[in-house]
Amino acid sequence: MTHVAAIATYLPCWGSARGRVAGDDEDAVTLAVEAGRAAIDVTGGSSPAGGEADTGGVQRVVLVSRELPLLEGGNAAVLLAGLGLAPEIEVSERLGGASAALDALTSARPRTLVIAADVQPSAGAAAALVADSGLHIAPCARLARSLPVRTRSADGKVHDYGDPRLLRERGVLASLASLAADKPLALAGVGTRQAAAVCAGQPPALPTTGASSALFALAALAESRSSGPLFAADQATVSGVRVGDGTALVRRLEPAARPSPASTFTPGKEIPVSLAAYDRAFPAKVRFEAGRQAGTGELDFPPRYRVRQDGALRTDYALVPLPRTGSVYTGVTVRVPVPGLPTPYSLVIVELDDVGVRVLARVTGAVPGTVNIGDRGRMVLRRVAVRSGVPDYGYAFCPEVHEEAEEAAV
Amino acid sequence: MRKVAIVGAGMTPFAEHFSLGIKDLLPMAFAECAASVDKGLDIADIQAAWFGELSTTDGFPSGILADTCGLLDIPVTRVENACATGNDAVRNAVMGIASGFYDVVLVMGADKVRESASKDTFWEWAGMTRDMAWDYPLGLVAPANFALHAARYLHESPATREHMAMVAVKNHHHAVSNPKAQLRFDITVEQVLNAPVVVEPFGLYDCTPQSDGAAALLLASEDVADKYTNRPVWIRGVGLGLDRVMHQHKRDMTTFPATIRAAKAAFGMAGLSPADVDVAEVHDCFTAVEMISYEDLGFCPRFEAYKLVEAGATSVGGSIPVNPSGGLKAKGHPPGATGVAQCVELFEQLRGSASNQVDGARIGLAHNIGGPTAVSAVTVLAGPGAYRS
Repeated sequence: MTHVAAIATYLPCWGSARGRVAGDDEDAVTLAVEAGRAAIDVTGGSSPAGGEADTGGVQRVVLVSRELPLLEGGNAAVLLAGLGLAPEIEVSERLGGASAALDALTSARPRTLVIAADVQPSAGAAAALVADSGLHIAPCARLARSLPVRTRSADGKVHDYGDPRLLRERGVLASLASLAADKPLALAGVGTRQAAAVCAGQPPALPTTGASSALFALAALAESRSSGPLFAADQATVSGVRVGDGTALVRRLEPAARPSPASTFTPGKEIPVSLAAYDRAFPAKVRFEAGRQAGTGELDFPPRYRVRQDGALRTDYALVPLPRTGSVYTGVTVRVPVPGLPTPYSLVIVELDDVGVRVLARVTGAVPGTVNIGDRGRMVLRRVAVRSGVPDYGYAFCPEVHEEAEEAAV
Repeated sequence: MRKVAIVGAGMTPFAEHFSLGIKDLLPMAFAECAASVDKGLDIADIQAAWFGELSTTDGFPSGILADTCGLLDIPVTRVENACATGNDAVRNAVMGIASGFYDVVLVMGADKVRESASKDTFWEWAGMTRDMAWDYPLGLVAPANFALHAARYLHESPATREHMAMVAVKNHHHAVSNPKAQLRFDITVEQVLNAPVVVEPFGLYDCTPQSDGAAALLLASEDVADKYTNRPVWIRGVGLGLDRVMHQHKRDMTTFPATIRAAKAAFGMAGLSPADVDVAEVHDCFTAVEMISYEDLGFCPRFEAYKLVEAGATSVGGSIPVNPSGGLKAKGHPPGATGVAQCVELFEQLRGSASNQVDGARIGLAHNIGGPTAVSAVTVLAGPGAYRS
């Protein structure tokens, strides 16, 4: 028996009703961080003004995705930093789809944050915080079968056998039949129409068909206080849980879908990276923390050594979280093609609330050129560039005006 | 402290010199400088050289200058101070003479921007002036660096994009008669406003072109200047100012504190004020930068640069002509050469021989601002009749 205290979902603002599209600056890690932070926040973690999240005692993180940005080199440090969790926490990166996400949930011990993220074919992420109390779920069925209609090998190459009818009849339907299961309330991992044909009543519409769809389905059942079976399929492999009593807090960061802005990518030389500089900057840059000078309390962002008036070196600063909201002091939009970056893009200098600290950042979640001086917004983790094979993460400014739709969608 | 004179000045045209390398441009500028010395030059008289080059085209800059100009027996020091390199090279050379250490020195500046593919220039040049972990990956390309200032300036001041366009029109017009200028054609305000946007609020015609070129000055102490000319131009003040390097650390982005610091030093040394300036070569890599610099240099009160533009005061014929050469905007901008070439222009202006002459100019000012708007150099010059002790 697993208890889920909170579920949070995140959808990129780009795309349409048919599916969301990750922004140029989003990947499975940034998607996971959006959902994961929201799940921590909803349990009474951090204040809306940001700052150090009370991480709800999270002791383990499981990330389920088929689109882990790095197979070698590590996603865990970025994930923990983005979530505001300590670097000592265990991270499991699981390759899998909807059934794997459901399995991750049922096998999780309390104080585990299970996050599932998808980039393709439609983007989204969802996170569930497993606790000692909350919504009860219990595994009720599992069947692993090989019917590889669609394959993707380690080099990312996709092959499609091209027989959706075979996949449906000999895949999920056959698996469900062999499990002799009750009609589920929801079926994750398949399209809406196929789910409706299998489920009892009208199943919730799910925005993805990958790993995150299982947690999107659980969020919908938690919101409607429905008890009953939830199944998740990954081609012919199926897992099922029985959703029981109890309640889970649900938070959705699901802004209304808008068409992706026109963007041009100009190939060029690879953007160089200094891994020494990357490494030095990492804690402050990916955790969004300033250096607070001992004695004076002055904040430096980025953190740095200082020299006093008498020439003495001051190195005794402590990293402290910065507020994640602020307003635009100045901003510009780069329209000339810059090799290696999708153009156009907007750059802003954001005055963070109440601390006298400004940040230079790229704008995310808005059509380039639509952000003005004075606009308010929040700082969010994004992949700001890929430099010589290294995803470079930092904070981008997401204007507030585009989040009104999100509130309406809750 | 001894007075320092400019006794010779020369430069290559600023252009896309695809057929000429840095090793060609340096001797070309040097020879033109030598030829400009009224009473002739024996290069064995030169005791030291300072060379401003921002990049390192074809390698070790000081050695390339010594080798290509036949100056293997003297010390050559490379100066690199972002876009303030040229006027800072002048400043260092001035100290060499004013201190009494040398009597005759050479100042050169050069760069070859077009040695890179135009699309690669952004990253290559941004790499020299950005924090590699924090700013560089964001795509803070050179126009964006200045546009962040311009956007806030337009927000706080009455100036508009039309005023910026008028600066571009003025500088293009000034360049038409300058045989050394890269963009020798008139444009209209409409053309500027309708040009493709590079980085808002800069359109194509708000921006300097990418240029190659070299420039040279021969400096002499007051003790020996008359060996070379009876009409020296005096270097009366030099100043260098710095500022915080990251944009997020600049509290007021409608001004360049580096310029204010450099100008204060240069005017203080010269014993002159902004009102004394008859002609100025101001760093107009982007049109709004020229306007902000009018204010920082003291040519007008804060947020009133637009009035100078509207009145035509900074056109040749106006009360304070700025960039009679065409400026960086139309003459071109090979960064290391830019400040030195400004002084080449002022050498001619103050001797009454410029191609776009400001009548009766006696005091001239050269100004650079660069790096991530974190360094400025200002040089104040006086014509042959304007420096009586």
